[in-house]
Amino acid sequence: MAVLEVKNLSKSFGDLQVLRDISFNVEEGQVVSVIGPSGSGKSTLLRCVNQLERADSGEINVCGMNMLHMNGSKAVYAPHKTLREIRLRIGLVFQNFNLFPHMNVMQNIIEAPVHVLKKPKAEAVQDAVELLEKMGLSGKEKAYPCELSGGQQQRVSIARALALRPDVLFFDEPTSALDPELTGEILKVIKGLAAEKMTMVIVTHEMEFAREVSNHVIFMDGGYIVEEGAPELLFGDTQNERTKQFLSRYRK
Amino acid sequence: MNFDDYLKVSKILLEYLPYTLKLFFFTLLFSIPLGMVVTWLKKCRFKPVSWLTNIYILIMRGTPLMLQIVAVYFAIPMMVSSAKKAGSIEGTFYETLDKFKANENYMFIMLVIAFSFNYAAYFAEIFRGGIESIPVGQYEASSMLGLTKMQTFFRIILPQVVKRVIPATSNEVIVLVKDTSLATIISYTEIMLKAKQQMNAYSSIGPLFVAGLFYFVLNAVVTVAFMLIEKHYDYYK
Repeated sequence: MAVLEVKNLSKSFGDLQVLRDISFNVEEGQVVSVIGPSGSGKSTLLRCVNQLERADSGEINVCGMNMLHMNGSKAVYAPHKTLREIRLRIGLVFQNFNLFPHMNVMQNIIEAPVHVLKKPKAEAVQDAVELLEKMGLSGKEKAYPCELSGGQQQRVSIARALALRPDVLFFDEPTSALDPELTGEILKVIKGLAAEKMTMVIVTHEMEFAREVSNHVIFMDGGYIVEEGAPELLFGDTQNERTKQFLSRYRK
Repeated sequence: MNFDDYLKVSKILLEYLPYTLKLFFFTLLFSIPLGMVVTWLKKCRFKPVSWLTNIYILIMRGTPLMLQIVAVYFAIPMMVSSAKKAGSIEGTFYETLDKFKANENYMFIMLVIAFSFNYAAYFAEIFRGGIESIPVGQYEASSMLGLTKMQTFFRIILPQVVKRVIPATSNEVIVLVKDTSLATIISYTEIMLKAKQQMNAYSSIGPLFVAGLFYFVLNAVVTVAFMLIEKHYDYYK
């Protein structure tokens, strides 16, 4: 079953068209990487799917629920209640973490389970302890975000997203704000999630990582999906000139 | 003035210190919540409300507080006399006003109204600056976690705003301590008015220095209080 279906999605900022007729599916258990040069529209695509931007036209279905469809030439979003329900089924990990600075690690993670899902606090804490262990952050429960390294902060934000047990997890350049030395720990965590068959969509500049972790790669440029396919195909022997040109810059 | 005179003047001013403090605390009590309401009105998406709020802020910050005190203080007596001239069509309304004017706390109430509306305009701009300085990512993260707009504001945004507005708020509160002296314009008896009377009695500017010392000590206390509040919020950056 497709966890995410995107059909003919378009989006402009004023005169600048950033997404042109984008269509793709994400199946359950799939790890999809979205690559492409800066300004190609990959982050905007992610933000449209996550309701952080409004699309101009197209259709989006998440976990079998319709989020956006066309009525003639008019884009119609689902009612507020459905949109919220959809939001609770997906998680997003931001480039710059966006942890809540006034809350410690534990409070950050249990905020949504307790106040949105209305889980008993003890249960949420138990879940959080397990998630932190998985992230290699045991013992950091009482630390504040400002006391953690970038890599640790990003792992907390992954734990925070996972605490809602999402059906699909999105990553918006999760390592771009980190020291090169710290990216490894995040990639390791994502690999671990992939091994558990977590459905993920990852916008990234880490080509090696995209090749290793994903089973589907989407290459975007100028608002279009230029090429998509298995990583072996895209990174191995693409016939597309634009893809070749883009990848050659990373091979050096 | 000799040492004993200074002691006498200090005693008199100390006696009237509660009147200064009363005005100070009541103004804070009303102007801070009112400031929050004004921020909210200014950020209202219904434009006429936002514009009217802007005009209110413009007037409050654009004219002297001293002028506003006089205007507010004489507003009700003027309404009463014009109601009288018009033949007092609205009898009960006129009576209510007239009774209120004669209330022993009339002057103090009008002072608190004038001060509160003036300071609310300043606080509103401080709070707005604080709210707008919170990165958009905090709203986005809250939305992705399914928090409602109310939860986002009260649980995520507001606690961070409080920390950010402390320095600017402490500035405003320090100014308020000194601004209470403007109440002398309508002869509200507080330490500044008493100091002026003592100045005349002694034909010396000595009492003025004593008053200055009072304000200085008050503000030292305010400064320490804000240092402690800032320290309390120091557990995160």
